[in-house]
Amino acid sequence: MALAPKKDLTAKIMRSKIYSLLLQDRRIDGRKPTDLRPIKIETGLLSKAEGSALVSMGSTKILTGIKVEVGAPFPDRPDEGTFTVNAELLPLASASFEPGPPDERGIELARVVDRSLREGGVLDLKKLCLIEGERVYVLFIDIYVLDYDGNYFDPSLISALAALATAKLPRYGVVDGKLQKTGEYFTPEIRSLPFTVMVGVIGEKFLLDPQLEEEKVLDVSLVMGADEKGNITCVQKNSPGQVPLELMDSIVDVAIEKTGEIRRKFLQEVPVKLVESP
Amino acid sequence: MSRPERLIDENGRRVDGRRPDELRPIRMEVGVLDKSDGSAYVEFGGTKVIAAVFGPREAHPRHLALPDRAILNCRYHMTSFSVEERKPLGMTRREIELSKVIREALETVAFLEEFPRAAIDVYVEVVQADGGTRTAGLTAASLALADAGIPMADLIAAVAVGKVDGQLVLDLCDLEDKYGEADMPVAMAPRFNSIVMLQLNGRMTVEEFKRGLALAKKGIDEIYRLQREALKKKFSEISPEEV
Amino acid sequence: MRGELEMPVYFTEHEIVVPGQLLSDNGKRSGEGTYAHGGKIYAARIGFASIRDNKVVVTPFKAAYKPAPGDWVIGIVSDVKPNGFEIDLGRHLKGTIRIPDREEVISTGLNVGDVVYVRIKESGLSGVVIDKRSRIRRIESGILIQIHPAKIPRLIGRRGSMINLIKRLTGCEIIVGKNGFLVINGPSPEAEFAAVKAVKMIEEEAHTSGLTERVEKLLRELVGGAEAPSS
Repeated sequence: MALAPKKDLTAKIMRSKIYSLLLQDRRIDGRKPTDLRPIKIETGLLSKAEGSALVSMGSTKILTGIKVEVGAPFPDRPDEGTFTVNAELLPLASASFEPGPPDERGIELARVVDRSLREGGVLDLKKLCLIEGERVYVLFIDIYVLDYDGNYFDPSLISALAALATAKLPRYGVVDGKLQKTGEYFTPEIRSLPFTVMVGVIGEKFLLDPQLEEEKVLDVSLVMGADEKGNITCVQKNSPGQVPLELMDSIVDVAIEKTGEIRRKFLQEVPVKLVESP
Repeated sequence: MSRPERLIDENGRRVDGRRPDELRPIRMEVGVLDKSDGSAYVEFGGTKVIAAVFGPREAHPRHLALPDRAILNCRYHMTSFSVEERKPLGMTRREIELSKVIREALETVAFLEEFPRAAIDVYVEVVQADGGTRTAGLTAASLALADAGIPMADLIAAVAVGKVDGQLVLDLCDLEDKYGEADMPVAMAPRFNSIVMLQLNGRMTVEEFKRGLALAKKGIDEIYRLQREALKKKFSEISPEEV
Repeated sequence: MRGELEMPVYFTEHEIVVPGQLLSDNGKRSGEGTYAHGGKIYAARIGFASIRDNKVVVTPFKAAYKPAPGDWVIGIVSDVKPNGFEIDLGRHLKGTIRIPDREEVISTGLNVGDVVYVRIKESGLSGVVIDKRSRIRRIESGILIQIHPAKIPRLIGRRGSMINLIKRLTGCEIIVGKNGFLVINGPSPEAEFAAVKAVKMIEEEAHTSGLTERVEKLLRELVGGAEAPSS
């Protein structure tokens, strides 16, 4: 059952103002409609996490940590490591996040990031196998929203990728049929960098990376992701409302252009081992 | 990591090189989050916590609101990756207990009567745990409340003392907490020389207990000084353009 | 020290004090932002300590807004009832406008989501009541922003100097509510954005010196310097 989350009271004048500014290609924070907020990425901050990244996009801040365990593979994929993505919208982050188990928004966030990573083929899961059919690396990618000023999707994916790209996984050797840590560490190969951009639609105009005040007045929003090859790797309409079909072409073009911008920034900031995927 | 042979060596040095009455390096920063009404980040060595405060604001659910004062809610929570073995999502019994004792300490000093029918929500998130997470959390929560402008009788400073290899030590790290004989988190409102949080896990003689409290007070005085400094620093910062 | 107290005080004028800090031995002169205990006065909040009207007060950096009769505030209509309106004034504050006549309620044309500029009639145990007899002005357009109510005095400035500086250099109309809500309307997006930036700068740096100069510099950078420099 999908219980609608509590709606924030919105001032009507804000919608008219944001829309009229958009008609002049302007936004309340001075950005142009397709401008993203400044992105900051910090990795390797936590000693008990095998990988970690703190990402901010404007005032929105996301902390992701990776925990690694060794466990059984899925029966239908005996030679592949596994990963799960969890996300929590921490009550610290916003007056509208309540404590408790992840609500539909947190679950949606986790699953959208998961799909980008999985369908985007970011990790070579076969390289995360230890003993086929018995033991593989099990990765937990846990995303925490610490501060919410609109759009937790894009920075969450960025932080998950940054944490993976800089993770240090312990190597195991097989001694007497048993797995033992060798004392060495390795960073997983990253085969793709699929980023997303959140698109907000008002009337016939759209903007990217909405801040909270903009998010409150959108007619509808969606998240679109693309990889370095120009493939669409993620689409999620994540709010009620209608997306005019005639906008989709422009949205796709902008998504590809802007995910490219995020990718360039990411490659500047994060020491990532990007490997060609087959 | 398995138990080290000795927690205190022949020179009186602890596993991280500290003397028994030495605090770990402490870092405090006030106002680290944008959307909450008040926030703070605190480090005690390898323990890293963030605290945020929302309030006074409407109490939810409304029927829990009190007619003559605010209710103070508190949630102590650890991220999954704050500890060596991944902590699954959801609140554990330990987190629920710690939320209670932290709340009770904060309730003691906050002037809740100024905000009838309202709620003050305090959230403590441990991003890295290396011993003393509830005391670091409470120290941070107190700063966050002050940052939020909630009137209080005093700040709360907290530290854990313990007994390792028969000796009393100040500001336990994770190894000492795990393998020592006793762990005693203490929180005080230093202005009033009063204790607002006190727990003991382990066993101590009466004499050790009293000395332990005195040792905690010593650490707390220093932590209190750092808190006051961190608060004043936040509000006396001038824009770089001014220089 | 301004003011005559029988006992010495333990702070200097405009010193930043923190909760629990000892301010004076004269427990009888405890004012706003302080409390008395055991015959002494302590700070209850972070702020500047000073003596006002013979009392030790702490002017907090971040006091929650306390509605007072006569205050003009900005709010968002959050509920329409047969006997009046509920107005969201920020945080946990809700004001009510009592209009016992249902026809009159409908004829105001106010709906949920409308932004209004209203005056407070009284505030007490029954909540915040808004004066319906002074004109309830519906604000038709503009950017609504919220800053911490404690910064409003600094935003306005001595005799309106700061707010007038912003209005003059940007050409914006700025309606200020004592509860920290503002509405900005300007001749161009750039002008509005400049005003928003100036307001945010004041909120961040309200307690620092040289702020007026920095605000002026920011505004001139953002909208150009066609105006005569402020004297």
